[in-house]
Amino acid sequence: MTMQDMLNDPLANIILMHADDKLMLGHIQSDWTGLAPILEEDIAASSMSQDDLSHALVLYEYLGKRFDLGTDDIAFERDAINYRCCDLITTPDEFDWAVALTKRWLVATFTALGLDRLATIDDGDLAARCKRLIPEQAIHVTHLTAWMIRLGSGTDESKARMQTAVDTLSASAGMMFEVPESLVETYCGRDELFTQWHTAIMDTLTQAGLSATITLPENSAVGGRRGVHADHFTQQQSEMTEVRRTEPAPAW
Amino acid sequence: MVSRAHIDAALADVPDPELPVSIVELGMVCGVDINGDDVDVKLVPTYTGCPALPMIERDVRAKITAVQGVESCTVSWCYEPAWNPDRITEPGREKLRAHGVTTTGCCGGGQSTVELTTSALACPYCGSSDTRLDSAFGPTRCRSIYFCDGCRNQFEHIKPVTS
Repeated sequence: MTMQDMLNDPLANIILMHADDKLMLGHIQSDWTGLAPILEEDIAASSMSQDDLSHALVLYEYLGKRFDLGTDDIAFERDAINYRCCDLITTPDEFDWAVALTKRWLVATFTALGLDRLATIDDGDLAARCKRLIPEQAIHVTHLTAWMIRLGSGTDESKARMQTAVDTLSASAGMMFEVPESLVETYCGRDELFTQWHTAIMDTLTQAGLSATITLPENSAVGGRRGVHADHFTQQQSEMTEVRRTEPAPAW
Repeated sequence: MVSRAHIDAALADVPDPELPVSIVELGMVCGVDINGDDVDVKLVPTYTGCPALPMIERDVRAKITAVQGVESCTVSWCYEPAWNPDRITEPGREKLRAHGVTTTGCCGGGQSTVELTTSALACPYCGSSDTRLDSAFGPTRCRSIYFCDGCRNQFEHIKPVTS
């Protein structure tokens, strides 16, 4: 079994989509540790980043067992073209809390639905892992949704800033539903998944007094999930793997 | 011949690094296999992102290999059964309560969101139910922070995670 076998496997691509999203989200959002607006949110944001990284690990471990690969090798030793994360995640938030929060909320809601689906696949180990992650993910969604509503219906300033963040991100949010190349023939239920996600997102936006237009990309759309990443992905990946490239097998 | 009683005693002696209870009281041990002089211990994580897991794993290995007759010990983490607060033993609950940490059973199966705010928890200090959620994210991954309006104390609650 090689890395290539994993990359050719349709189910592995779906798992990588979610795991890579979480790896990059946990990495980029941990920049907020020590900087989030209030202490409770600092703890919450740091905790969610910690969760995202550990959730990625739980999924990489599953792939590692199945394809006889090291988890760190899967996480750090792929070329950029073989990362399946969408580029919404690595879009810089310029330390704007509204953007960071909105981004995490959009992604977390998508991941929650994805984990629900993975948990129904007839594979005991994968289902058990996903069932373990689902309630932890649900805490993120509940928390982030509450903040979207609170800030959207807060002051004029908070509302305006949240609407700007939603506008900035909604243009590329649909790309979470881009289909990886190896799945074009086999992937089903994308429209359904989008509808489910879109309904949840719109419900929260309505409660928050915010609005957005988010569309499903064409099946042929090419972006991060097919390995065609924006520059900000490459920068983040390079930063994330710097220690490992400098010292391939460090003992802590 | 390795004695099961000695293994159980060794496991009961492994503390959680952040709470005044053992990993047995927390319900983290889900299987022990003794094959001659080799012992295999299966553990369930309370929370996947808990940074104490590697430390607990090291402690288990150290305590088990110190048991008379044990040559080697392997520790593995499993996800089935999933951990939930129902797995905490009664003595474990008592110790946590005395430490200012409340626990309840899991919050019913099949739901997609975890309800963190509605059910009133009894304050571990004064018993009042006039309590509210301060923050879903507490000092460790498995704990939330609550506030008691009865005695104006903050307390912690083990998150009711279940899927």
